[in-house]
Amino acid sequence: MSVPRARLLDLMRARCELFATTFNPEGIRTGNKILRQRLKGPALASYYPRKIMTFRDFQKEFKPLELEVENEEELDRLEHIAALKARGKGAPKKKKTKDVKKK
Amino acid sequence: MSMFRAKKLDLGCFTNIKIIRDHSKRKAFAAAEPERQALRYIIRNTTLPARTRAIAQLQLTQMHCYTRPTQIRNRCILGGKGRGILSDFKMSRYNFRLQALAGNLPGVKKASW
Repeated sequence: MSVPRARLLDLMRARCELFATTFNPEGIRTGNKILRQRLKGPALASYYPRKIMTFRDFQKEFKPLELEVENEEELDRLEHIAALKARGKGAPKKKKTKDVKKK
Repeated sequence: MSMFRAKKLDLGCFTNIKIIRDHSKRKAFAAAEPERQALRYIIRNTTLPARTRAIAQLQLTQMHCYTRPTQIRNRCILGGKGRGILSDFKMSRYNFRLQALAGNLPGVKKASW
């Protein structure tokens, strides 16, 4: 018992109307599968953790309360540099660039 | 490419130039994704004239390489390594082992039977 093609097509059309899909009996490539894909950019872009707050912001938050927060790592670094300079081993001073135009 | 890089460092994890590069690629891709998908749709749609599709192909290939998803690679957020990454934990296998043994990863424990 075979069903005529026209009847099958009618069935397909009705089905497409019901489920809100595109009626495409010939199976032509319309590229709709690209439109159906979700955007994955936001998920990819949030891979690395973002910087939430810097120490300077933290200090600024406490300024109005007249509380001072000390950045110990920064103090250590400055102390280290001061010790180097005292021994004459520090980084050289920056050149004063007057002759930029000559280049 | 420096034009994609954030003017101010916006990363809170381990940073080296490779991580910064990968991060800017991710952001560039996220920004250009709708355009890429639109071009891809035009290319795949066989009902459109061949000329339009060829132009779309050219435009897609001429977009900056930072906007391509294939440029993105998962890197370790603790050491920046590019190989041997467990993507569930965003960590290289050795850093994962260290963190897991230290008990910093909830639900992970060493198997023994």
